[in-house]
Amino acid sequence: MANLNGRARKKNTYDAIVVGSGITGGIAAKELTEKGLKVLVLERGRMVRHLEDYPTATLDPWQTKYPQGQLPPDELAARYPVQRRTGYTMTEYTQHFFVRDDTNPYTETNRFDWIRGYHVGGRSLTWGRQSYRHSPIDFEANAREGIAVDWPIRYEDLAPWYDHVERFIGVSGQAEGLPQLPDGVYQPPMEMNCVEKAFKAKSEARFPERRITMGRTAHLTDPTEEQLSLGRTKCQYRNMCIRGCPFGGYYSSNSGGLVAAERTGNLVIRPNSIVTELIHDEKAGRATGVRILDAVTRKDEEFHADVIFLCASALNSAWLMMNSTSSRFPNGFGNGSDQLGRNVMDHHLGVGASGEAPDFADMYYSGRRPNGIYVPRFRNLGDAATKRSDYLRGFGYQGGASRPGWERDLKKGGRGFGAERKAALTQPGPWSMGLGGFGEILPYEDNRITLNRDVKDEFGLPTLTMNVTMRENELAMRKDMQNAAAEMLEAAGFKNVRGYDGGFAPGLGIHEMGTARMGRDPKTSVLNAYNQVHECKNVYVTDGAAMTSASCVNPSLTYMALTARAADHAVKARKRGDL
Amino acid sequence: MLHRRDALKGLALTVGAAATGWAGRAAAATAPALDWTPAALTGDQARLVDAVAELIIPATDTPGARQAGVPQFIDRALANYCDKSQKDLLIGGLTRMDADARAAHGDVFVALKPEQQVAMLTTYDQEAGVAKGQNPGQPHFFAALEDWVTVGYFTSEPGATMALRYDPVPGAYHGCVPLAEIGRAWATR
Repeated sequence: MANLNGRARKKNTYDAIVVGSGITGGIAAKELTEKGLKVLVLERGRMVRHLEDYPTATLDPWQTKYPQGQLPPDELAARYPVQRRTGYTMTEYTQHFFVRDDTNPYTETNRFDWIRGYHVGGRSLTWGRQSYRHSPIDFEANAREGIAVDWPIRYEDLAPWYDHVERFIGVSGQAEGLPQLPDGVYQPPMEMNCVEKAFKAKSEARFPERRITMGRTAHLTDPTEEQLSLGRTKCQYRNMCIRGCPFGGYYSSNSGGLVAAERTGNLVIRPNSIVTELIHDEKAGRATGVRILDAVTRKDEEFHADVIFLCASALNSAWLMMNSTSSRFPNGFGNGSDQLGRNVMDHHLGVGASGEAPDFADMYYSGRRPNGIYVPRFRNLGDAATKRSDYLRGFGYQGGASRPGWERDLKKGGRGFGAERKAALTQPGPWSMGLGGFGEILPYEDNRITLNRDVKDEFGLPTLTMNVTMRENELAMRKDMQNAAAEMLEAAGFKNVRGYDGGFAPGLGIHEMGTARMGRDPKTSVLNAYNQVHECKNVYVTDGAAMTSASCVNPSLTYMALTARAADHAVKARKRGDL
Repeated sequence: MLHRRDALKGLALTVGAAATGWAGRAAAATAPALDWTPAALTGDQARLVDAVAELIIPATDTPGARQAGVPQFIDRALANYCDKSQKDLLIGGLTRMDADARAAHGDVFVALKPEQQVAMLTTYDQEAGVAKGQNPGQPHFFAALEDWVTVGYFTSEPGATMALRYDPVPGAYHGCVPLAEIGRAWATR
């Protein structure tokens, strides 16, 4: 019997376990396997293989089951009351990459839009792909302003790892030399269209501090040998990214990190494996492995390793830690600080301005660019000129100009019918341009998630309760986000400029983060400067949970850089016998 | 995608044959016998949808709604997509059209003269414009019907590839191209 147990244990023992296979799990798997570790990736959802499992990737508009690939209203209401809230995620094209809400419940003390995908690759298949670096001022802001706790690292600590990740995933973009948006390792930028070029020239003439650049996006425009060797190739400008890309044109875990990890021969991926608990050895003072619930057989199983990486997304990594209680950790794993589940952040959006371009009626474009323009943060940069008295931090804009097609004529009345209308709709509509803000949300201790043992999911596991709200700083910022965008469009001569604020509920940015923050002091933070749990050094948390502040830039690139840096640390520490 | 050229060749044949079949007919006045079996609509409703769709998007130098399969598209949407309020709005509208046609001209819509049909649709279109202004949340049946026809047409293969331009794999993005070189609006964004 002892022998059998010993054998089973050996079979289930790896050098490292990575929980989650999304944007950070893929990088953790790649880095750890390439450094020679035998790695087990545990993914709660089903297998999704690159190329094989993108069933809608090449569907033409007339091949959909439903009109415009939209899901029936009754099905949306019954199965996807949360996932539908973005307005673009839940379609026939993407349905298989998002969870059903009816079987994945959570409780909203305040509205929280938790948009999730449970499958190999996670949301790296459906992400927005915008890839920006945090800047020195982002890492210094908490300390300077006395907000929350200080980051335990500075830009210089992460810079080489940004380089490392950008080289691997491939980011196209334009270097700008701006201190608030550090440049990276870029493949050639995508092209602006006529209206965007004119907007840039005119707006920058009036507001030189508001630089307008091409979006930096994880698409290949000039692939490296390494990327080609992984089977990836140039972006084909189909703009159907969210269905999975048969060209590997954008970075996903499935087309990148997991493929690189697999070819080392050191990777095992186990789908349908819901990690329910971290196993802690009190005598040794370390984690020895994890317990899973097999989603298919509904049986528990244990896996063991020297090193454990939590890459399950900010809320689910926190969930796992909260659900891992013991006499050592009665309030959740590594939660001596009581910061676990707190400081939930996102980026607030849904506010900006749009207008009609006065010129270029005879110009158009070809190709569907999966990217737009970017206006880096231009408020509160540390000098008097950009200082705001009404709020802290700042925001960036993402936007672009385009000409609408036939859809511009929907949901109208009294629009005529017949040959004349048909002919009009075969021509593009007038150019319009929009700027949408992405604003920083501050960390607030009482913006938190908690474990709810009363509401269980389909597996009988506890769920989360969300209590996160927008505060004064964010609301004041939104006014400026709307006004400054309108100002720029007006300065550039656009007509019918209209500011908007459609409101925002936390979660909708799909950048949830902060639930196990990094910090210098174990009393006030969960993770140290290398993403190790202060109270259990062989557990690393490298997804959005680690974030000490949010910046206003899209966060995935930072998560990946933190992951690669932590993996390097873990391998060296393990070699030294420190774990 | 890989056999795009073959696919386009096939399409040209199909559309060509269909175009010959309907050539010379007055667009909507003739109520054609259905060559398909509706799943949600009655036969009369299907013939009515067929006639109205072709009036909304007629065949011109490119195929019209009928050739693009729009009536079948609407029938399919009613069968597998629409919720109750969408169904009620559409079916209620069809019922009203025949009732109005009988009251004004003594026969169902499909049996009316083309100019009578156009006049009725013009009235509905004006009503829809007024309704949109007064109560944007509650669409007029004609606005909804016209949306179904428009979506069905421009997402159909003939609509997307002949009335519009469709390129499944552009391969590149060019940001400043004279519209004259492209000629028509792109079918997808």
